[in-house]
Amino acid sequence: MGESRGGGCCPPMDLMRSETMQLVQLIVPMESAHLTVSYLGDLGLVQFKDLNSEKSPFQRTYAAQIKRCGEMARKIRFFKDQMSKAEVLPKELLEKESDIDLDDVEVKLGELEAELVEINANNDKLQRSYNELMEYKLVLQKAGEFFSSAHRSATAQQREIESEDSQQAGDDLLESPLLQEEKSVDSSKQVKLGFLTGLVPREKSMVFERILFRATRGNIFIRQTVIEEPVIDPSSGEKAEKNVFIVFYSGERAKSKILKICEAFGANRYPFSEDLGKQAQMITEVSGRLSELKTTIDAGLGHRNVLLQTIGDKFELWNLKVRKEKAIYHTLNMLSLDVTKKCLVAEGWSPVFASNEIQDALQRAAVDSNSQVGSIFQVLRTKESPPTYFRTNKFTSAIQEIVDAYGVAKYQEANPGVFTIVTFPFLFAVMFGDWGHGICILLATMYLILREKKLASQKLGDIMEMAFGGRYVILMMSLFSIYTGLIYNEFFSIPYPLFAPSAYDCRDASCSEATTIGLIKVRDTYPFGLDPVWHGTRSELPFLNSLKMKMSILLGVSQMNLGIIMSYFNARFFKSSVNIWFQFIPQMIFLNSLFGYLSVLIIIKWCTGSQADLYHVMIYMFLSPTDELGENQLFPHQKTVQLVLLFLALVSVPCMLLPKPFILKKQHEARHQGQSYAPLDETDESLHVETTGGSHGHEEFEFSEIFVHQLIHTIEFVLGAVSNTASYLRLWALSLAHSELSSVFYEKVLLLAWGYNNVFILIIGILVFIFATVGVLLVMETLSAFLHALRLHWVEFQNKFYEGDGYKFAPFTFIFTANEDE
Amino acid sequence: MGFLITTLIFLVVGIIASLCVRICCNRGPSTNLLHLTLVITATICCWMMWAIVYIAQMNPLIVPILSETE
Repeated sequence: MGESRGGGCCPPMDLMRSETMQLVQLIVPMESAHLTVSYLGDLGLVQFKDLNSEKSPFQRTYAAQIKRCGEMARKIRFFKDQMSKAEVLPKELLEKESDIDLDDVEVKLGELEAELVEINANNDKLQRSYNELMEYKLVLQKAGEFFSSAHRSATAQQREIESEDSQQAGDDLLESPLLQEEKSVDSSKQVKLGFLTGLVPREKSMVFERILFRATRGNIFIRQTVIEEPVIDPSSGEKAEKNVFIVFYSGERAKSKILKICEAFGANRYPFSEDLGKQAQMITEVSGRLSELKTTIDAGLGHRNVLLQTIGDKFELWNLKVRKEKAIYHTLNMLSLDVTKKCLVAEGWSPVFASNEIQDALQRAAVDSNSQVGSIFQVLRTKESPPTYFRTNKFTSAIQEIVDAYGVAKYQEANPGVFTIVTFPFLFAVMFGDWGHGICILLATMYLILREKKLASQKLGDIMEMAFGGRYVILMMSLFSIYTGLIYNEFFSIPYPLFAPSAYDCRDASCSEATTIGLIKVRDTYPFGLDPVWHGTRSELPFLNSLKMKMSILLGVSQMNLGIIMSYFNARFFKSSVNIWFQFIPQMIFLNSLFGYLSVLIIIKWCTGSQADLYHVMIYMFLSPTDELGENQLFPHQKTVQLVLLFLALVSVPCMLLPKPFILKKQHEARHQGQSYAPLDETDESLHVETTGGSHGHEEFEFSEIFVHQLIHTIEFVLGAVSNTASYLRLWALSLAHSELSSVFYEKVLLLAWGYNNVFILIIGILVFIFATVGVLLVMETLSAFLHALRLHWVEFQNKFYEGDGYKFAPFTFIFTANEDE
Repeated sequence: MGFLITTLIFLVVGIIASLCVRICCNRGPSTNLLHLTLVITATICCWMMWAIVYIAQMNPLIVPILSETE
């Protein structure tokens, strides 16, 4: 795996190291500042530094402009709200709409907002009157029924009494109706009954009645009727269940009490007259007004919708303009004002390859803004660490994001993403290995890729968004899975002799010992992958476990060696020979003399078919290295070789630990001896020493800190050599889990259903098999293998060489995400 | 014998793949180097996996013992 070139012989590889960045200083005259920032935003290749970081947001130059933009953004949000309530969709933004002036937009927004607010207020008022009138109508109807029914029963009773009277004079008059009583009572003592009508919410009606009763000491008469459909309450605008009530009272004090209680309960009162003729008249009047109001309200809503449509046409354009302007003013706030107050100074990071484009943009801005002076572009030298910038395309950006999720590369250190593009899907496939499942995932991801353009413009849910973003990674994963599936010879756990007949056969013609001692190898080894005879045998697991564990160790040692070799390339790039001699070489020697040797032993054992026990060999290499190996001997002079390797490993540990801190100390002293007379043979950064604005403190050198750091690094490497190698065994574990699950679903679901010879059970069996395969194997196992392959990269591969403490290049650009809301 | 032949086949396939990639997406020396690295890495990974499985079966210590039902 160590075939990476780079450095002197060939051109530098794309994506391997960050683009060279430079700190640039732009001096722009005031009149072209706005246009300059706008053009630079279109370009998207400059990351501005905030030169006014000590100032609060209110002290900055353009705070007023930002407030203006904020106001406009608020109005735009209000419009968006109103439009979504009325279900009006904004028109899609065409590519090149003409540029509009911000002041025009502001005026227009103000006008439209005032109009819209007015229309809404009017609508609300009208709606409220409408609801009140509806309630009034109901009161008129129901209360009218009270009176008419009471009148009927009263006249009925009167007739009864009259007929009674004519029969029996002088009877007890206690049961006489109210009307009879009233006639015989002295007119001066006549009680004046008043009444109130109205509506009360149904859930409060019982309490209402009780409180009225208690407050007036029982001297009222109340009747309620239910209204069947819910009524829209005028004050809240929502439907509520209500009852119509009518209260008869006597006296002013009772009236005031009742009025207060009605108010407290939110019961609306409406006037009602006893006269039948007037009631009918009121009903017709109210109905007329109701229909008038309805037409008015409808007209109002129509007008509002037309207004919203006109807003919708221009909405996206205004929205984009306002956000652009806000971004420009934020950036302008970061520039510092020159002493003469005539120009702005900007400092920022930009890639070296973009210098020409930036200068172009500056010139265009100067010309377009009719300024007399052009802008100045100059490169500053600094000791600060630049941001890291990788130019990725849609294929490599997903992998780069995965690597960045762990840590952004330090400026110009080797990018693990280059190899991760291939090794990550490969390790995934080693754990996933089934070409049937691989084909399913391939189909799914081909769908995503073929519908790329359409899906990119839609708004997808969170999970779909992630799957869509990683579609090329998943494509690679599926292709490698098909390959490893062919090697493991598993198609939904069924093996096929695709390339040649199986290598094994019975010992004799009768096959009597096939189930006791087993078959023997009669033909050549199965040419591609695992022999199909193994599936379902009793010795399948011991064989496969041994194979997969050894494979995991071999793959793991290879990847770790690749990691250490990457650290060599880093050391060579940063010209740090101490790292080469006292870090790379001892690390290589330590890892390979132990685990490289183990890998070689595995291969020799396989090639010779020896029965040596490798556990025994490795463990006793440490415990009693001078012992005779006996039957564990795999090659001649093995004992001597083991002693030499053990010695090398032991020597390499202090080599990793001790020399580097002392050498660094000597270099530091040499550098600071006379001011500039010592030759610099180590620089940790590739940028020069001078300074303008950056702070350059005196470089401190704490020997104890460096020593402890090196000690930790050494211990981590030595212990990590064992633990990381063992960690690669997860390749075996997950691959075993996958094949066992797949085999269980096949045998215990599909074959079982097939065995019943019943179509119904077969269909159910197939459905269960499909759901189990998709849910458990295609989704859960994919995520699981993805996660473990990721961990192997992030920890076992990257801790051999990756520092990952840089920061990402975040240029000023107008490409907004859909959710950005400032 | 079969091992060497198949290894040669892998080598040839790798070379053909790098040539194809160079022909169809020729985008400047540094990008070409990246593509070459990716193709070589993929070929080596695939070959390693095949070789490991092949060598493990060349001189087996365990033989298949069929289960009762078969």
